[in-house]
Amino acid sequence: MSAARPTDIACQEVVELLTDFLEGALDRKTRTRLEQHLVLCPGCTEYLRQLRLTIGATRRLSEAELPEHVRTALLDVFRHWREGA
Amino acid sequence: MPAAWKFLSPGRVAPFGGVQWPEPGPASPGPWFRPPGREVYACRIVDLPWWLDAELWEVEMENPVSTLESQLVAPAGRLLRRIASWDASALNAYGAACALRVRDLAVGVLREEGRATEAEALGRPTDLLELARVARGFSTEASTRRGANLAGYLAESATRASQGAGAAAANIAANAAVSARRQPSAFDLEREWQAWWIARRTGLRQN
Repeated sequence: MSAARPTDIACQEVVELLTDFLEGALDRKTRTRLEQHLVLCPGCTEYLRQLRLTIGATRRLSEAELPEHVRTALLDVFRHWREGA
Repeated sequence: MPAAWKFLSPGRVAPFGGVQWPEPGPASPGPWFRPPGREVYACRIVDLPWWLDAELWEVEMENPVSTLESQLVAPAGRLLRRIASWDASALNAYGAACALRVRDLAVGVLREEGRATEAEALGRPTDLLELARVARGFSTEASTRRGANLAGYLAESATRASQGAGAAAANIAANAAVSARRQPSAFDLEREWQAWWIARRTGLRQN
């Protein structure tokens, strides 16, 4: 990870931006910085790959297919998200 | 129309969009590629170090072509031919060349600081991993901050180059240049050197 150039971007920032990146919601300058980071960073590239796989897998699921206990567990996680953050 | 090139992942796949570019024929350009809702991007020679990947292609961009800070953008593009001389061996050689640039910088700074013995020791290794090992020792032992910084950059750049991570080795080299020359503009100058290294290796010419 480098920091000498002011336009450099850190891994943590990349992780925060990836959802917007995948939705095409980033402005061009931010997207370019993020992509330039991905060229250098195998860790973030792998994270992006896994995110794409997860999105692809969950897209095939419907709410009705979700078992009740999984639904309850997920809702519990979401409800306590802020408390644990 | 200015010449333009594009790095792609193996199989002509766009590294960020994940879409495959259509293949050119043996003696004809590929079909125009116009990804829905998106533009296409390509490089001038000076842009190449920012976008390294496994395959390098010459591309034609459809007008209007705009020049951004580190790339060209157009509504569509098509592949003309693959630059076959850009391969794993070229990528490894590029990483090594960048790491050796850092060594030159580190040796220079250590000499300036009167640390001739360390400078000489950095000049000896012929293997990237050995160079990284020696440099890592100096990155903690060097008494002045700048010499230690440069040795640290060298250790990291040589390590990345030995792993085939040429893009990372090059980026570290550009940051090392800023530290060595104490000028932010040294970053872009190092990137220019890197761009022309790729051009020389692959025979590219900017029109």
